[in-house]
Amino acid sequence: MIRNLEKVRNIGISAHIDSGKTTLTERILFYTDRIHQINEVRGKNGTGAIMDSMELEKERGITIASAATYCKWDRHNINIIDTPGHVDFTVEVERSLRVLDGVVLILCSVSGVQSQSITVDQQMKRYKVPCIAFVNKCDRSGANPLRVSRQLKDKLGHNSVMMQLPIGLEDKHEGVIDLVAMKALYFEGDNGENMVEKEIPADLLDDAQMAREEMIDEVSLFSEELTDTILEEKEIGEDLIMQAVRTGTIAREMTPVFLGSAYKNKAVQPLLNAVISYLPSPLDIENEAIDLDNNEETVILESKFDKPTVALAFKLEDGQYGQLTYIRAYQGCINKGDTLINSRDGRKIKAGRLIRMHSAQMEEVEAIPAGHIGAMFGIDCASGDTFVSPKINYSMLAMHIMEPVISLSIVPKDNKAQINMSKALNRFTKEDPTFKTYVDHETGDTIIQGMGELHLEVYVERMKREYGAEVETGQPRVAYRETITKKAIFNYTHKKQTGGAGQFGRIAGFMEPCNEEFEFDNKITGGRIPTNYIPSCKKGFEMCMDKGPKLEFPVTGIKVTIDDGAFHAVDSSEMAFKAAARGAFLEGYAKARPVIKEPIMKVVIETPNEFQGACMGLINQRRGIIQGSQEEGVMSVIESQVPLSDMFGFSTVLRSGTQGKAQFTMEFSSYKKVPVSVAEEIVRKKQEEKTKK
Amino acid sequence: MLKKDLILKSPVSKTIGFDNIRNGKFGAVLSRAGVGKTSFLVQIALTQLLNDEKIIHISLDDHMEKINLRYSDGYKNLVNDIGYVDPQKAVRLWEDIKSNEVGISYNENTFDIEKIRDYLKSFKKSDLVLPSILIIDGLNFDKDITDVFEGLEGLYQEFSIFTWLSMKSHRDEELSENGFPVQLETYKERFDKAIFLQPVKNKIEAIILKDGDRTDQKYKLDPSTMMILDE
Repeated sequence: MIRNLEKVRNIGISAHIDSGKTTLTERILFYTDRIHQINEVRGKNGTGAIMDSMELEKERGITIASAATYCKWDRHNINIIDTPGHVDFTVEVERSLRVLDGVVLILCSVSGVQSQSITVDQQMKRYKVPCIAFVNKCDRSGANPLRVSRQLKDKLGHNSVMMQLPIGLEDKHEGVIDLVAMKALYFEGDNGENMVEKEIPADLLDDAQMAREEMIDEVSLFSEELTDTILEEKEIGEDLIMQAVRTGTIAREMTPVFLGSAYKNKAVQPLLNAVISYLPSPLDIENEAIDLDNNEETVILESKFDKPTVALAFKLEDGQYGQLTYIRAYQGCINKGDTLINSRDGRKIKAGRLIRMHSAQMEEVEAIPAGHIGAMFGIDCASGDTFVSPKINYSMLAMHIMEPVISLSIVPKDNKAQINMSKALNRFTKEDPTFKTYVDHETGDTIIQGMGELHLEVYVERMKREYGAEVETGQPRVAYRETITKKAIFNYTHKKQTGGAGQFGRIAGFMEPCNEEFEFDNKITGGRIPTNYIPSCKKGFEMCMDKGPKLEFPVTGIKVTIDDGAFHAVDSSEMAFKAAARGAFLEGYAKARPVIKEPIMKVVIETPNEFQGACMGLINQRRGIIQGSQEEGVMSVIESQVPLSDMFGFSTVLRSGTQGKAQFTMEFSSYKKVPVSVAEEIVRKKQEEKTKK
Repeated sequence: MLKKDLILKSPVSKTIGFDNIRNGKFGAVLSRAGVGKTSFLVQIALTQLLNDEKIIHISLDDHMEKINLRYSDGYKNLVNDIGYVDPQKAVRLWEDIKSNEVGISYNENTFDIEKIRDYLKSFKKSDLVLPSILIIDGLNFDKDITDVFEGLEGLYQEFSIFTWLSMKSHRDEELSENGFPVQLETYKERFDKAIFLQPVKNKIEAIILKDGDRTDQKYKLDPSTMMILDE
């Protein structure tokens, strides 16, 4: 691996579904000699793209797991993470962004900035990842890269600057004009591998000059030298412009926009040059960790090889030879045979086989130095764990993980499936923190939870394919919650005297709605409840939050304040106060007007204009609230809020209602109170279930 | 209570009359560019939202987000005009009613009555209450739009939905013989109501051009908020 970190780039490719992420990655690997034949995402020969190594991915034409790979371009090492575009797999995107230094944001030149691009952009902001934009699909009818660049400004607030102009669009798309070098670039050969520089066509020269001036004007903000050169009316060197663009990009103050068509092999090489020229190397980025031995103080990690090692496990995969753990080294160097500590549980691990990945193929390496991405074999850990040298105790900051909103019961078909299923679940929960599983004690069913229907569907399918575990699935269920809507007081005495030591405890106070999950405030004075029993009181209330008294859904958003109580010198115990807290909770809860809350999803539909009315109708039929509709060229975007419980099977309905031309994305928005009529239905169903049991 | 107060305070209740907003089929708000047609239309829609009705606002000029912003601004102006209102109460009420407003943005080429018909049909299909008024902002009256009117007439027959439109007049044009902007002249038979907004000395005068017998009544509005000025 290259030790000169200036020549290393860790980049991600992220975008909306079907913007051509995988296609672009495939081209990059081809031009950098990593692969010798280009396979299309939905290839005729059934091969599928090389980055989509999971069978299921090839079949569905979507990228589920982010495969890491590396390639070489212009004496630089580029590590690429191909990230999934479906919102259901957002956690994968988030994890990738955590370990990347820069991102190529792909936008479709027809659809422009789509809903997922907005989500990805928010994630990039959260992790402060610099990006360059690539407007893909310039060969499609309706292509308008300038409009997309404007949308980047208007919708995402990027300071987008066009670095290229197209030479022809739609079916006449031939190449691009490089506004820095002022050259026309064409791509010849069967796979566009020969980049040919020519003079700019005469009819485009004026436009190009104007665009260059605009570009230089924008870029000059980031370089005094460049501003001076302009003011002195000297000739502006290419290097000067490039340096200014690099400064602006790394500071996240501008987004250079490139364009082309990956599918038609146009302008991928200039994009690779841009990755090298404008995206940061590990040295340009400041990474932080917290020192667990020093009051969790923030420490800045240095990409130096002689420092103690700090590395983050960001993805797990079950390979042929056991668990494969993808890691990014931030500081120091992981050498074969090194002893490392997992700072989450303090367990020692030994770095055995170290490899770097080229999608499904692996190459063994001796070391993974700081700034690089690689993988280790045979290590038992969870995703998000930090590995450090034994002399330090750092932890990389936790990643932003969302709570699952949908659940599904699964029943194995036979005994063999039962064993395999538990192996698979064990693996998936380690790999994906948004995928959870538990056994429902009342029904004995295994329940899986996730971020959406597709998310769970994919795991059920993977269970079958990778582990041979066939399962029957129940109806998907929504993760309802209970909460209270007004303040209520309680005053409960727990008293039991049935021979032997008695139990006594009295707790009084009030509960009220709040924004946190659960809050507990102790306002007891004068020792009315001895201090050593207060934790038991808290615990007693907390235990009630797991299962609400109304419909046994988890309770959220309650603040409990206790201000009075009583105890008995002999009969009071921790147990007695726990029981008293439970009684007090039930008493208060019943008076606090409890309600059921349901997850509301932000649903964005993109449909050809002619189906706009029909699509809005579909939302109407699902208790949805349309927030608005906007036409973007030939497509309409409909934004709405719809309860998750009404979204089951929506993809089928949408497909049949629009001849398969519309698509939608869905992500969790908030929890809202369920309307009375629906709440009654939930109560009825719950009761039916109970009688069945 | 707040709802009733806001409805009473609305410039629309004072100029057109709250019960009168939906009498007939079509209404027009006319003015030159930049005087406040859209703001007035938003106030018309707000009275309906405050009465727990649904409305559809179609704009041929503004982006969806801008439409929604105009509504929240219009609501704020209305609340501020009352004087002191418990801010939390005002926010809660807005959260409550805003979901009944659907903003749709089209451009001139993609605006199609059929799409609106499809959408309205879905209300009937799902047994939902239909929107009470349709607002169309930005239609170009300098062109022949007879077919648009026929389409809207069809919507009225099918869904009893009243349509309020904005109509842009031009600064240099003279008024017609009976004092109407010429744009209205062509379609005046179709409209049941027409209000003309005219800037007069730092104020805006709302003149009822057409509404049964209530013609030529004038009201003074604050140009920044479109609220009635007490004089």
